Amino acid sequence: MGGFLPPAERRSSALLGLYAALSILLLLAGDRLPTASLRGLGAIVFTPLDRLVLSVDRMAGAWRENQRLHQRLAELEVENVRLKLSGLENQQLRQQIGLPAWHGVDLKPVEIVALSGEPIPVAATLSAGHQQGVEVGDAVMAQDGLLGRVSEVYPSLARAVLLTDPNSAIACEVESTGVLGILHSMTAPRPRLVLTGVPLSDTVRIGQQIVTSGFSSRYPRGIRVGTVMRVGRETSGLTQDIEVAPSARLGRLRYGFVVMRPGPGEGPR
Amino acid sequence: MKGIGALIAIVVITLLLRSTALTALASRGVILDILAFATVMWALRHRESWGSTFGFALGLAADLDAAHWMGRHALALSLLGYAVGRLSHTLVRDSVRTQLALLFGATLIHQSWVAAFEFGSVSAWPYLLQRVLLAAVATAPIGTLLVALLRRLSGQPLFGHAAIEPDATS
Repeated sequence: MGGFLPPAERRSSALLGLYAALSILLLLAGDRLPTASLRGLGAIVFTPLDRLVLSVDRMAGAWRENQRLHQRLAELEVENVRLKLSGLENQQLRQQIGLPAWHGVDLKPVEIVALSGEPIPVAATLSAGHQQGVEVGDAVMAQDGLLGRVSEVYPSLARAVLLTDPNSAIACEVESTGVLGILHSMTAPRPRLVLTGVPLSDTVRIGQQIVTSGFSSRYPRGIRVGTVMRVGRETSGLTQDIEVAPSARLGRLRYGFVVMRPGPGEGPR
Repeated sequence: MKGIGALIAIVVITLLLRSTALTALASRGVILDILAFATVMWALRHRESWGSTFGFALGLAADLDAAHWMGRHALALSLLGYAVGRLSHTLVRDSVRTQLALLFGATLIHQSWVAAFEFGSVSAWPYLLQRVLLAAVATAPIGTLLVALLRRLSGQPLFGHAAIEPDATS
């Protein structure tokens, strides 16, 4: 650049060298630094501002959503009556064969204050924290399905790792057949959710619902996770490569629910 | 002091927009690279020292937010800030074509660098290439349009013309 540019200032070159050295140092050793407290501080500073920015968008969306929810409420009222009868029947049948009774899940509503990650969000800041009883490891879901789990908890905020995070692994099952697998997020050849560990002998069809299996201590059984979009064969040829579309609309998250852990003596869910 | 205040304010606004308004677009595959946009604009206005400082501060904040690969945004954006700041000595900074080219180039470089960290296997490159190109194609015209709009609202050039260096005329 020296040909048509004025000579560089010594100060700016020194600054650039310092920044580049610091960045490279962070790239090499940054993962070992205790950054959770810094992120917590950032979340506390940014939350009121995030709420301000989101409030405009949310007010417009709330009107449309209200109309849709009225209709949905009416549908769910009808379905609820049917499910209550089925639940009662299920309880009686479980009692007859000596299985323990099911417990419901205790949900705490939270606001999704901010999302991180491109092109698909991989983390979210939640509006409830330690003071509200949220703990690290609690499952987080939206009305449509599972979102992920709480990874860091601050006094009145929490950070959740979404199921799209490359490090997440969720024990799942196919709702109608009980076929088991582990849901992973993969970045190559494009970001997608894949149900792994399903043998070729198990039949999985496009359109089937995937729910949490309850085999992981983090996630209670029966939370909707996604729908089977594509079924193929994994490169090793031993298992299936099942692509899953998430039930929760991760790009349009506004509110969610933290699945609170049962108190002592309440037993498994 | 005023400069530092402005730098912090722009960093905060940029990160806010990135984590709120732009996430819906990003999840549909259209990434508006607001980090590259803000760095280019800041470096065009404040030259290389402030350009690299801004890029580093913004990148570091974005890295902290991402939780993985600390330093990847900071390195790319501080280098971009410096390069654009140096170029701003000779370029007509208020020219639409200059802004378009700089934004296109900066987004392309930044997104390519970020994508390199997600390059899990060879099969990923068509998707990543498409994502990088789409980001550059979307960010450059929208960014330029935004600058033109700001210029119209303010009623004066945002950057001014390139400084005439005393050595260049001798």
